[in-house]
Amino acid sequence: MNSNTKVLVQGITGKEGSFHTSLMLKYGTKIVAGVSPGKGGSKLNGVPVYDTVAEAAKEHEIDASIIFVPAKYAPEAVYEAVDSGVKLVVIITEHIPVVEVAKFVRYAKVRGTRIVGPNCPGLIAPGESLIGILPSKYFNRGMVGIVSRSGTLTYEVASILRQYGQSTVIGIGGDPIIGTPMQEAVLDFQDDPETEAIVVIGEIGGTMEERVAQLKKAGKITKPVVAYIAGMTAPREKRMGHAGAVVYMGMGTFESKVNAFREAGIPLAKTPYEVKDLIEKVLRK
Amino acid sequence: MKLYEYEGKLLFKKVGIRVPKGVVTKEPIKWDGKAVVKAQLLEGARGKRGLVKVTDDVYSTILEMRAQGIGTFLVEEFIPHTREIYLSTMMDRESGNPMIVASPFGGINIEESKEVRTFKIPLDRRVMRFDVEAVEKYLGVRGLETVLRGLLDLVLTYDAELAEINPLAVTEEGLLALDSKVILDDNALYRHEDIISELGRKEESDSYVELDGDIGIIGNGAGLTMATMDLVKIMGGSPANFLDVGGGADAEKIAKSILRVGNNSKVKKIVVNIFGGITRCDDVARGIIEAYKQIGKPIFVRLTGTNEEEGKRILQTYGIKTYEDAISAIGDALRM
Repeated sequence: MNSNTKVLVQGITGKEGSFHTSLMLKYGTKIVAGVSPGKGGSKLNGVPVYDTVAEAAKEHEIDASIIFVPAKYAPEAVYEAVDSGVKLVVIITEHIPVVEVAKFVRYAKVRGTRIVGPNCPGLIAPGESLIGILPSKYFNRGMVGIVSRSGTLTYEVASILRQYGQSTVIGIGGDPIIGTPMQEAVLDFQDDPETEAIVVIGEIGGTMEERVAQLKKAGKITKPVVAYIAGMTAPREKRMGHAGAVVYMGMGTFESKVNAFREAGIPLAKTPYEVKDLIEKVLRK
Repeated sequence: MKLYEYEGKLLFKKVGIRVPKGVVTKEPIKWDGKAVVKAQLLEGARGKRGLVKVTDDVYSTILEMRAQGIGTFLVEEFIPHTREIYLSTMMDRESGNPMIVASPFGGINIEESKEVRTFKIPLDRRVMRFDVEAVEKYLGVRGLETVLRGLLDLVLTYDAELAEINPLAVTEEGLLALDSKVILDDNALYRHEDIISELGRKEESDSYVELDGDIGIIGNGAGLTMATMDLVKIMGGSPANFLDVGGGADAEKIAKSILRVGNNSKVKKIVVNIFGGITRCDDVARGIIEAYKQIGKPIFVRLTGTNEEEGKRILQTYGIKTYEDAISAIGDALRM
């Protein structure tokens, strides 16, 4: 993802879609087209709108798509993008049933499409491109890669880390099943020459944080990693705002993640503010 | 949405999983012979609290439990059985496949059990004979096909986030689910309106979670709100709730949220943590003022982001102090 990434917006004429399209354009993102069934032929902020992804893909080269379509219709939008050969699909939409997510994540994977989300704020490469809804003023170009299951907490941590700046920030989403799990994003940062340290913002539920710890322990990640996990005081079997922030049958508890990070030698911040001290330490080494 | 035991059993019946004969009642009833009286509560550990009783006198047992404040009861025939096993299904978050969780010992706390195995069923196909065979061999029980198909059906057709039978009784006449725990995917409730109305439930749409303490917590974004709750604990306080107002909340939503938290009698103080991106701080401030006039409990507001200056100005007019970060807001809340 860089300043040349050509982006399609699905659901471009909706309230969220049109609002964030204008913000992304302002940031410099190359939005080449939008899709909104029944609105084909019109223009929004100078961006040509098509009825289908296939029609847009005929006229424009498309590297990535961002989806703002409401939950009921979002799965179809994903299949449409995948079938048109879009290689990166970022799903902002929240509240898609988990079984539907599991189905399209699998569908995309076997066809070579990378999905980010759903229920995520998207990605930002500060100074280059924004494919998402992250408020750009809290991000600046630098050396820390951030991967997060949360939205606002990411903005908070990015602004706390202002003096170091960020290479890329990826909000992977708060759902139980997501297209790009945390460990994949961390491996991407490992390969990214601009990233010198990685911040992982996790929460209770699931086992992605444990996977990151395993990779670190196995030596597959050599760059320094610093972590924060939200939900220390969350009760079992309660959904904490995110569909994915829930512990069933004792899987993915706060303690399990803390232990995994400790064993892997990944320093864990007790508060979001402490992330800065830990980054300072690992970068000084 | 977590279902009551009797509601879960209603779904069990729909997918062909057998349950004991029973009735749901709010009043004491007469019953011939031995029966099980079960308080219908959403919290677990009913057994330990004496809220599941085998009895020959259903009428008085209901009266006794009523005295403990229980309102709804499930009365079921007593099922003599030789063995209890554990079965549940849910989506495996890592592989994206439904999985069956099985243990040869039922009626236990599955989290503490060492004897547990999972069987993943690929999303692209249904439960097949050889899947059933594998689970049956592990559990040492025959005749599981209908139960396993039914459990998978609950996940894939009824959008259950978790469907648990603990225990499943092995009897001479077959397998019966003695208990049920079913949690439906809140995101999928819109496609099961028929069931929701059959149960007489309403779609729950907010993120409110009740906790034990006395500090009310409101934030925007699940992660930030959890972090706020955790900070209160780390700094020596005790959170009373979790409430994430979500992205782009307007003044009305903020006011409603503060009233909801503030009207809880155990809440002594309220901490609000807002990092405005799409959410505008001036909207937040107006919502806070609106609710503050009605609840009259101390409120500590951390406010930063879009239209921050205007938001702070509004709050200051009403004498509400604002903070630059959550730590100082919580610090003051705990001190004062």
